[in-house]
Amino acid sequence: MPFGYHGRYFLIDVTHPTRVERPDLSDAILRRTLGGAGLGAHLLLEHGRPQDDACDPAQPLIFAFSPLVGSPLTTSAKFAVVGKSPLTGRINDALAGSGFAIAGKHTGADAFVIVGRVPALSVLVIDDGAVRVEPADDLAGLACADAEEKVRSRLGPGFRIASIGPAGERFVRYATISHDGRHAGRGGSGAVLGSKNIKAIAVRGNKRVEWADPKALVEISRDLSTRSFGPATEKYRELGTAANMLMFNRFGTLPTRNFQTGTFEHAVNLSPEEMKVAHGKARASCVACTIGCEHIYGVNGGQTRVEYESLFALGSLCGVGNSAKVLRAVQRCDELGLDTISTGGTIAFAMECVERGLIDERWLTFGDGDAMLRAIELIGAREGLGATLAEGSRRAAEQIGQGSLAFAPQVKGLEIPGYEPRALQTMALGFAVGSRGADHNRSGAYEADFSDAVDRRDATLASVRHAIETEDKAALMDSLILCKFLRGVFSDFHVEAAVMLRAVTGWDATADELRATAKQIVQSKREFNMRAGWTPSEDTLPDRFLNTPLPNDPAAVLTRERLTELVNEYHRQRGWRMV
Amino acid sequence: MRVEFFGVSRERAGVAERDVHACTLGELLAILAADHPSLAELLPDNRLHPALAANLNGDRFVRDPRTPLVDTDCVLLLSADAGG
Repeated sequence: MPFGYHGRYFLIDVTHPTRVERPDLSDAILRRTLGGAGLGAHLLLEHGRPQDDACDPAQPLIFAFSPLVGSPLTTSAKFAVVGKSPLTGRINDALAGSGFAIAGKHTGADAFVIVGRVPALSVLVIDDGAVRVEPADDLAGLACADAEEKVRSRLGPGFRIASIGPAGERFVRYATISHDGRHAGRGGSGAVLGSKNIKAIAVRGNKRVEWADPKALVEISRDLSTRSFGPATEKYRELGTAANMLMFNRFGTLPTRNFQTGTFEHAVNLSPEEMKVAHGKARASCVACTIGCEHIYGVNGGQTRVEYESLFALGSLCGVGNSAKVLRAVQRCDELGLDTISTGGTIAFAMECVERGLIDERWLTFGDGDAMLRAIELIGAREGLGATLAEGSRRAAEQIGQGSLAFAPQVKGLEIPGYEPRALQTMALGFAVGSRGADHNRSGAYEADFSDAVDRRDATLASVRHAIETEDKAALMDSLILCKFLRGVFSDFHVEAAVMLRAVTGWDATADELRATAKQIVQSKREFNMRAGWTPSEDTLPDRFLNTPLPNDPAAVLTRERLTELVNEYHRQRGWRMV
Repeated sequence: MRVEFFGVSRERAGVAERDVHACTLGELLAILAADHPSLAELLPDNRLHPALAANLNGDRFVRDPRTPLVDTDCVLLLSADAGG
C-alpha cells in the first residue's frame, strides 16, 4: 500500500448496492493525479459518459479524497465532488470542507465512484468499507442540515454525512451537496446525486493510511499552522471574504443589478462591519483548520454562514441592500441546497428580463428583497417561474429568447461570480477559458488584477501568463487538497508543496514535477470537455461584457477582439492547437 | 492626500480614511506606521507587507516606496488577497 493513500477506490453501483468493486489505483496514477480534483478528473475520464445526460443513471458522481486528508496539515480536510454538470454539460469539480473528507478516507477508499440509480429515495452508507443502501422516505423534502441530523441520529456515532436539500431532490440544475454547513456548491452536483435517488451519503471508518515520514510531517504541520495565524490570512480570520464588499465597491468592480454597473449604493449595509453591528457575529472553522474563516451572522432566529459571493449574488447583483433579507436569502439557499452564485445570477437575470418587459412577472424587480426570497422558494420547488429559473440563466434565456442571452450572466452555463470582468480583465480571461465555466476558484486570475503585475482595465497578452499560472496553482491546490485561503502563507508554494508531499508519500517530488502535474490536471479536465462536445466558441463572455464600457468606469471596456486575442494566446500557451 | 483603508487595514487603523501629506509612498507608510501602531506590523521598514496592497487613485497598484505622491492623490490600502 502506498504511503498517504489506500491505493484503491470504491466503484459503487447503487442500483445493485451489494455490487461494489474495489479497483486498484497505481502509484503512477496517484502521482500523476494526486487526489481531489485531479483524481476525480481521471476517474471521470475512465467511467464518465461525456456525451450522455449528466443525470443519466450510468453517469458517475465521484467523491475524491487526497493524500493530505487526515494529516495534521491545516486546511487539509476537504474533498472534491466531480462529475458532468447538469448546468453546463461540462466537467464540474466542486470542493467542500470538514469531517466528511476524513471519515470518507477512513472507509478505506481514495475515492468513491457512484453510478446507477436506487428505485426510491435512499441513504448510501459506507461503513468501514462495507456498503449498503437504506430507505430515506422520511428524509424527503428535508433541509440539508435537518437531513444530516436525522441520518446521524439514526446511524449512531462516528458517521459524517453529506446530503442534498429539496433542490437536489427536484433536480434544480445548480443544487448543492452539503456537509456540516459547507457546500460542494457550484455546477449542480446535488442534482446528479438527486437523480440517483440518494438523499445522503454517510461515511465512517477506521482504516488509516500511513505517512512516509511522520516526524517531518508533524514539524511541517506545526510550522504551517503557526504561519497560518499571521497577516496573510488575517482578512479571512477577522472579517471573512465579506471584506471584499466595500473594497470592490470602491474600485467599481462590484457587480450590481445583473452586471449593469459596478457600484452599489447600499454596499455598506452588506459590509462585515455593518452586519456585525446589525446582526451579531460568531466565527467557526472547518475540522483541521487553523484559519477560522467562517463568519456567522444572526438571522431569522437562527444564524447563517456568509461569504462575499453570497452577499454579492443575493445582494448587489439583485439590487437588494437590506442585509436581513440577504442573510435570509443565503439561509434559504443553504437549507434548500442551492448554489448562491447561480441562484442570485439567475434571479438577477430574471429581474432584468422583467425590467425590459421580456417576461410578465412584475413582482420580481431589482431591489425587492421579498420578491427575491419568493423567487428562491419557487426555484427550490420548481414551481411557476421557478421551473424556468431552476434551469439556470442560460437555459432560461434560451427559453425566453428576445435577445436575452446577451445579458445572461454566465459562461458555459455557469453564472459569473462577483468580479466585474470589464474592470478586472485578467479575471475576464480566466472566466472565459475556465473548464467548468465562469469561476473564481478554478481561476485566481483576479490576483494579477489586484496587483502591479497588470493593468486591470487593459489586459494584454502579458496577462495570459498570469491567468495560466493561477489556474495551474488552483488545480494543484484542489488536488493535494489545501484551502486556497492559505496561499498567501507560502513564499514558494510549489517548493513547499513538494516537501509536504514527500513527507506524506515518500515520493521524491519536486516543484517542477508539481508544476507539470498541475498542467496535466488542467489538460485532463479539458479532455473530458472535448469529449463532451466543447468547442472554442464557448471560451468567451456574454455580449454584455464586450465592447461596452462599464457605466461607472468608462475606462473599463473589453473589446471582443481583445478577448479573442487573449483566449487564442491562452490556448497557444497551453499548447492546445485549435482546429 | 487622502488615504482610504479597507478591510484589515481599516480594522487596525481604526479609521476608514484620513488626510496625510507625504511626497512618496515610503514616507506615507512611515507616517501611518507611527500614527497607527496597530498598522505597523503591516508596514515594516516603510514598505508594504506582502499581505497588504496599495492602489493609487483607483488606477494602478504600487509597491515601490519611492513612488512619488502629490496632494491630490488618493491612496487606497487593502488586502493583497482579493479571494472571495
